[in-house]
Amino acid sequence: MVSTFIEAFKIKNAYRTNTFIYSIKQFPILKKLLKDTLYSNKILKVLGTIVSVIMELMSIFLGKFLYVWLVIFSLLPLYSVSKIDLFLHFFLFLTLAGAFMNTYMFNPTKDKYYAMFTMRLDARMYTLSDFYYRMFTVFVGFIPLILFFGHLIHLPLWIAFVIPVFIVSVKMLANIYFLKKYEKYGIITDENHPAKGIWIFVGICLLFTYGLPYINIVLPWWLTLICMSLFILISIFGISYLHYFKYYREVYKRILTEGNMNMASYKTNTVDVQREQMMKQMDIHTDITSTKHGYAYFNDLFVKRHSKLLLRSAKKTALISLVIIIIVSLALWVNPPLAKMINRALLIALPYFVFVMYIINRGQVVSQAMFMNCDHSMLTYGFYREPKVILNLFRERLKSVIVINLLPALVIATGLVFLLYMSGGTTEWLEYPLLFFSIIAMSIFFSVHHLVMYYLLQPYNVHSELKSSTYTVVNAITYFACYYMLQIKMPIFIFGLMTIIFSILYCFISLILVYRFAPKTFKLRI
Amino acid sequence: MRLIVKDLTKKFDQKQVLTDINFTFEQGKIYGLLGRNGAGKTTFFNCLNKDILFDSGTFLLEDESQKEVTLSDIGYVLSTPNVPEFLTGREFLKFFLEINQKEIKDLKSIDEYFDFMHIEVEDRDKLLKDYSYGMKNKMQMLVNIIANPKILLLDEPLTSLDVVVAEEMKQMLKSIKKDHIIIFSTHIMELALSLCDEIVILNHGKLEEIDRNNISDKEMKDKIIGALTEEE
Repeated sequence: MVSTFIEAFKIKNAYRTNTFIYSIKQFPILKKLLKDTLYSNKILKVLGTIVSVIMELMSIFLGKFLYVWLVIFSLLPLYSVSKIDLFLHFFLFLTLAGAFMNTYMFNPTKDKYYAMFTMRLDARMYTLSDFYYRMFTVFVGFIPLILFFGHLIHLPLWIAFVIPVFIVSVKMLANIYFLKKYEKYGIITDENHPAKGIWIFVGICLLFTYGLPYINIVLPWWLTLICMSLFILISIFGISYLHYFKYYREVYKRILTEGNMNMASYKTNTVDVQREQMMKQMDIHTDITSTKHGYAYFNDLFVKRHSKLLLRSAKKTALISLVIIIIVSLALWVNPPLAKMINRALLIALPYFVFVMYIINRGQVVSQAMFMNCDHSMLTYGFYREPKVILNLFRERLKSVIVINLLPALVIATGLVFLLYMSGGTTEWLEYPLLFFSIIAMSIFFSVHHLVMYYLLQPYNVHSELKSSTYTVVNAITYFACYYMLQIKMPIFIFGLMTIIFSILYCFISLILVYRFAPKTFKLRI
Repeated sequence: MRLIVKDLTKKFDQKQVLTDINFTFEQGKIYGLLGRNGAGKTTFFNCLNKDILFDSGTFLLEDESQKEVTLSDIGYVLSTPNVPEFLTGREFLKFFLEINQKEIKDLKSIDEYFDFMHIEVEDRDKLLKDYSYGMKNKMQMLVNIIANPKILLLDEPLTSLDVVVAEEMKQMLKSIKKDHIIIFSTHIMELALSLCDEIVILNHGKLEEIDRNNISDKEMKDKIIGALTEEE
């Protein structure tokens, strides 16, 4: 088993190292400088191995640290019960829930496919060695964290050692449950697509975790410990089942080659899942038709058959915004002090709405759908890549995207003007139209921005893989810039004016860029 | 009409894939492009179709005068058919015909095109998503043919079609060849020999025409294998 483990580790390491080198090669400038011989470069291999080890260590400690800190420790002060009782109570129920969601064994990953099917390692040996290693890392990862956080709430030392053993044993039992389910009924489990029953179970566990203490019901520490010990005891009997289970190869053959997770026939699994998700967004009825012509006809059918992503989603956003605005106006009406507060906030919080408008804009998803469901295939046709076609269709698309996104924008803009007036108004009457038009400008800006970036950087290749790091960087910058706006407080007058001018300039310049460069840049990446 | 490839060179990193290719293709002939895996057949097509940048070279189209080859001169049929799955066959054709109606000579009705390609009446209003592999392939081929490009590049188009569809396609290609320059890449030698007028092999980055005058298919095969396995 040890040799199987070492083999498997080597495969995983090679995979990670090459991924590391591949990702270095994706940087715009480095790409040109670096050669394919890079993959045999010794220094880089060592560096890759170091990165791989760091990633492994992070996966052992970092996730668990965040888990114990955010989901358990930081929530302790919210309840007025014994900290130790609550600490153990949390662990008990969260572990039960987590064991079924995070099984390790039933997570279909590429390295499993490579190890068992490409490299033909013995499935049972591989699974067990991988699983035992995982359990070892669970144990080792949790010990210092539980000791540390336990120390802060004066948890007795010996209990701190019981918890990790309990976690390991519950995980073992969950896997045994899934294996038995296969053996008895032939049902396979894919942890990324949990069955309905599992969701309900997890829901109940979460309710017990956070709900019960809220009404001051929490298991006393000794009862929790008894429960934990019982699980540990039962799991000891389960080890032999796990060890002598005969059908690992069959189970994995099915997990790794059925449905979404078909690793045998597809290049990248995530891309494929993404494509499938996008396909699901289509309303495939041939009774949806269009009376338009040419480019408008093509675009119209696309928009209508993607109304789940486009129009319906925009309507939903508009409706939700309307409801929020109505609720706030009612609150203003019955509560005058609140009105004052909201008035003050509204006068300086316009930057905040940059983020809101960014979040509700569908531009990015829409361009993704345009690619996956349409351009992905259309770009393989020469006629579709002619400048005339690219630009005509761009214009049609821009119109639809702007119009669709304007629907919620209009509701929000009108709503905000209304709220400003209702909450006491402003002495500067110009601020009303500025508020209104700056929201509209933001909406148009994001619509233009996403579509322009898509046309200028067309980041996908024929397999729908994202191939442009520039595109990723631009999206990240957009996000952070919008997020940064949350921190800014500025009067409507200045910020509104700036927004409107900026949006007009941006749209103007970017449209020129599209007309100039898109015929060259809008093609499939090779 | 002739397609003249001049001094075409393409490198990937340090690897020389196409080396100073000079070749002339003529109208009215189907050229079978043979080469070993990785020899650069697809790269050659991608260069012609301006999908990738190449290091040097020009593509000229010579009729009464000479001009550079443009995108609209080329139809490129890929081995895996790509069709817009959110449209029906009829909608796809309608869109295509509407935006290209000025360029298309003797425009026919949509159903006439379907008839030409042997696409059944009941399939014409189905979403392309639900088309079989062979039907998608026919649609792709059809759109590329209607545009009536002067040059038609076919990358292994018949390999995974059933025998009936493959035969239909072969006949169709023969019927349109007189107005086009057709370059057909394949791994199947029998197909190349039965369909193509000229055999061109891509080896060591060069294009080389294999003379098939007065020799049997068997001798031709030996000659091709010989040419493809010889050392540089």
